[in-house]
Amino acid sequence: MGEHKLIMGKDIYFWNFIVLMFFTLFEVAAVFFEEYPGTDIPVSKSVVWAILIGVGIIKGYGIAAYFMHLKDDPRIYTRTALFPVLFVILMLWGIGLSNPAGVTELPSWCTPNWDYADTR
Amino acid sequence: MSGGHGAHVDNAIWMRAVMMGGILLTIGVLLFATLGVFMANEKHHVWEELEDDYHHMEVQFALDSSDEGANISEHEADELYHLHHEEIAAHLSYLTYRVAGVTALLMAITYAAFIGLGGFLNASKPNAEHGDGHDDGHDEHHGSASPIIFAFGIMLFLAGFPDFAIACKAMLNADVSADLGMLSISMIGLLTIVIAIANWWFEDLPFNGHGEQIATSYPFEGEHIRKAGLWVFIMSEIMVFATFFSSYLRMRTEWCTKWAFDNGLENGTLIEGCVSQTQIDMFNSGVDYELIPKDLAMTASDYLRPGGAAGTGDFWTMLPGAVNTFALIISSYTIVLALKTAKNANWERSTGIMGKLMPTRKAEVRNYLIATLALGSLFIILKLVEWSHLVAEGFDIGTTQGSIFYIATGAHGLHVFVGLLVMLYLVFKSDTVGFDEENAQGVEYFGLYWHFVDLAWVVIFPAFYLY
Repeated sequence: MGEHKLIMGKDIYFWNFIVLMFFTLFEVAAVFFEEYPGTDIPVSKSVVWAILIGVGIIKGYGIAAYFMHLKDDPRIYTRTALFPVLFVILMLWGIGLSNPAGVTELPSWCTPNWDYADTR
Repeated sequence: MSGGHGAHVDNAIWMRAVMMGGILLTIGVLLFATLGVFMANEKHHVWEELEDDYHHMEVQFALDSSDEGANISEHEADELYHLHHEEIAAHLSYLTYRVAGVTALLMAITYAAFIGLGGFLNASKPNAEHGDGHDDGHDEHHGSASPIIFAFGIMLFLAGFPDFAIACKAMLNADVSADLGMLSISMIGLLTIVIAIANWWFEDLPFNGHGEQIATSYPFEGEHIRKAGLWVFIMSEIMVFATFFSSYLRMRTEWCTKWAFDNGLENGTLIEGCVSQTQIDMFNSGVDYELIPKDLAMTASDYLRPGGAAGTGDFWTMLPGAVNTFALIISSYTIVLALKTAKNANWERSTGIMGKLMPTRKAEVRNYLIATLALGSLFIILKLVEWSHLVAEGFDIGTTQGSIFYIATGAHGLHVFVGLLVMLYLVFKSDTVGFDEENAQGVEYFGLYWHFVDLAWVVIFPAFYLY
């Protein structure tokens, strides 16, 4: 368990908690400020994206690795947790980022004769 | 029943259950009386006054302008506008207290019923008759019908669910044409679920926790079966939330959001159904942005975040979601602290106020679990307050944006709520027999589920609230 490794007298759970709190604050602040503080330069969409995705990855790692103990537990648990990643990527790519007109433009062999498909 | 410490708690169990149920109910009633009745009535009074003032001013200005044969002045329009906004703010303030009070009461009733029923059932049988013989060190699986009954109950509930809400609404309006057959199926399903949970607790969740079963074959050989099972469950949950997220992403790429519209205008990119050449030309010729006709799709974040297209977002609309994020992270930490304390054989009492609040290891584990329960309950209350505000602002489930938002965040909220019910059991156990290094698996495995719920929020919060 991670509590045996002390950093400045505190265990890894404490520091993980601090990191998670800090990055959550950073994430909310990034969206709260429409312009960079002290300037008139607007925060662009791509910067917000980069911050949200980057912070999400850091927070996800902190929770999974330390709070869920994947870092210290046998590798089989990490493999179990990562197993659905393939399906998640397939869903994000195949559904989430598919052609917006995908539902109506699917090949005929996978579109039943729905009224929905005809009228949409 | 003998617990992990060999303490006899046969009579103590159900008396503690009744006492805890009573405490929870008292807290719920107090919160309801304070927030849902006293404060809400005060706010309702303010809202009614402002509403009257607004309508009075509206009528007065209309009469004045008809007398003078002219439109209302700019100053009068400003006054009317500000009063209207004050009235909306007063309405939302009233909703905050009312919804918080009612939610707290309903949750307290559920908690009290759950802990009362569970505690009573657990204490109603002598220890020897409790199902799986963990106390006796028998490791073989005894088999239980409860999961099947539970699944059957869910099937019945979902079968009747599509017409559940419609039938409830019709019944409230005394509409005899309501499809009560489907409502009955749902209600029978709910009853079956309750019976299955009660029976499961009764026969399969002993207070002792010794005799953890070990997997004997690949790939989890040598690992605790319950832990491996929980990870497989989490694996399936990842896929469930991935479907919500990918559906949202799929629809989001098609919606004409303010971001998509602005991006198209600024870069001169035509987007079918969103940005036309006429709009680009108007923008390039310097026409005021507000005057360019546009048909934007409003997402929840447009209502919640500052600068959102709905124009309603500010610090206060962001606050519930942000507080909920912090609440879940803190609750993840408190459950880690509960586990750490339970497993610490060399536990020593802290100095200062923490030592007074947590004089024994048992009390420390219990109090950390209670803190987790309180934070999770706060999450549900704030979630429903936020939903009530969104519905009042016009963002309801009737649109695709609203549908995916309420389904995804509602599914997450349901996971939190189910987790809170399990947490009640842990609080109850920590208060009666207590957790130690021998029987803390329950806290550890529940902690995995709770961290997963936190992890899901790490994705949902930025995707639905911030982006």
